Amino acid sequence: MEYILNIVILVGLYVILSSSFNLIIGHGGLISIAHPIFYAIGAYCSALLSINFHVPPVLGILAGAVLAMLVSAAVALPSLRISGDYLLIASIGFQLGLLQLIEQLDFTGGPGGIGNIPGLIDGPQRSLVFAGIVTVIAVFVVLLIRALMNGDYGRAVRAMRDDELAFSMLGRRAMKIKLGIFAFGSGLAGLAGGLYAHYYQYVSPEQFGILQSSMILTMVVVGGMSSTLGPVIGAGLLVILPELIAFLNLPPSVMAPVQGILFTGLVLVFMFARPQGIIGASTKRRGGLAEAGQESGR
Amino acid sequence: MTEPILRVRGLNKHFGGIVVADDISLDVGAGDILGLIGPNGAGKTSLFNLLTGHYRQDAGRIWLGGTAIDTLPMFKRARLGLSRTWQHMRLFQSMTVLDNLLISASEYRGDSMLRSLLRPKSLREENRRSLDRASGILARLGLDRDRDKCVSELTFGQQKLIGMGRALMHGGSCLLLDEPMAGVEGAAYETMKEVVREEARRGRAICVVEHNVSFIRDLCNSAVFMFNGRMMRSGSVAELLASEELSQLYFGK
Repeated sequence: MEYILNIVILVGLYVILSSSFNLIIGHGGLISIAHPIFYAIGAYCSALLSINFHVPPVLGILAGAVLAMLVSAAVALPSLRISGDYLLIASIGFQLGLLQLIEQLDFTGGPGGIGNIPGLIDGPQRSLVFAGIVTVIAVFVVLLIRALMNGDYGRAVRAMRDDELAFSMLGRRAMKIKLGIFAFGSGLAGLAGGLYAHYYQYVSPEQFGILQSSMILTMVVVGGMSSTLGPVIGAGLLVILPELIAFLNLPPSVMAPVQGILFTGLVLVFMFARPQGIIGASTKRRGGLAEAGQESGR
Repeated sequence: MTEPILRVRGLNKHFGGIVVADDISLDVGAGDILGLIGPNGAGKTSLFNLLTGHYRQDAGRIWLGGTAIDTLPMFKRARLGLSRTWQHMRLFQSMTVLDNLLISASEYRGDSMLRSLLRPKSLREENRRSLDRASGILARLGLDRDRDKCVSELTFGQQKLIGMGRALMHGGSCLLLDEPMAGVEGAAYETMKEVVREEARRGRAICVVEHNVSFIRDLCNSAVFMFNGRMMRSGSVAELLASEELSQLYFGK
């Protein structure tokens, strides 16, 4: 039971991460893969606040989300002003740089990370309640993003992504939209980070590196970019699949490469055979990393 | 004489050794249709890019309705009443015809996340007004039956009309049309001509870059012949078309 709940929680966290990442890269066409660093900011901020200042975890989690939002805006602002393409470089630089810093500093626990983070809830039913909370939040996040993208705001985001120049010529501020969705998406990653920290009660820098970036990217690409359900399916698939492989009882020396090959293989297969992902985007002619790349190249 | 809507004085721009605008000065008043003609590379589209703020001039000034706009970013110039179409249309390709128009309304306020989620009464009323206006424009353009189609499904001529529809939806006092007729024929041609004429009658200042001579001759009150970034001559369309010297420049004899 504990095992199943653990998977539910993990899927829930990844649904938040992949859906918010899809908002940025799929809907917004903003190319960045540094999503995990905002996940990290949420996790560390909330963990440190509750350990050092005894801030209640709920407030810590909210503070982490807000901090992730502010920091992402600060990272994105200068690079988006020059051109969208610089966002990729600036954000990866920020991701790797901040992780280095976290590893070097004492108060962030260095490479070993931080343990003994207060739990969001305690007691024997802890996992069950937490699974419920994460599921509710994940569903809320998915519905919120869907409502945004199906509404008037979504129309503006799509127009901006399709043609930024024509969009500006209509008196619209492309910058405002780009900054808005990047900060909002990153804030949601921060929220997931806080939840993560107060459930596992342990964070370490290695969980937020490039591997994590590729994991979330794979979820979005395999599930289907710019669709609502795509990232949800992608998150479920990529959390559950490795668990199923674990049941095969392969020796560890075989296990690790098999997982690696599986993920890389999935991305390659989908890029070539079904670029729109398992769930295609709702309107025609959308989806796929190739197209998102094209948009940024304009 | 009343103040022209668009006033340009001494506009200069070069990219390295290439001069795209050399001392351009012009006035376009309400109801005027000014044709910009000249061979490819003469600087016609570059002039539009300078007017809209896509390029920044090296020297010179631009006023729209008496307000200096030459230091403003593109979106602010657009908000002050500058509207344009694009040679390559630049439609929002993943969106429907109707959505292309709705997003173009100058009063569109759905680009605020919170407002879009809360949908206050004011937003719903704006949306209803925009929908009415968009329906009216689509009817004028003969596209009302295609409004829920994705723009990429339509013919080239229809896409050109949608580009025009977007500019109409945006409104504004000055309209810059970049080759509205290129590749457009048949019914779309007549519709486009009628729409441009009607917009001028309603008091807009219009600039047209166009290679289609009969379009220019039918619509424009006056025209400017451009070559190598310079205004070679301005005057009535008939005068310019009759000039031996200009047609040699145009056809590169």
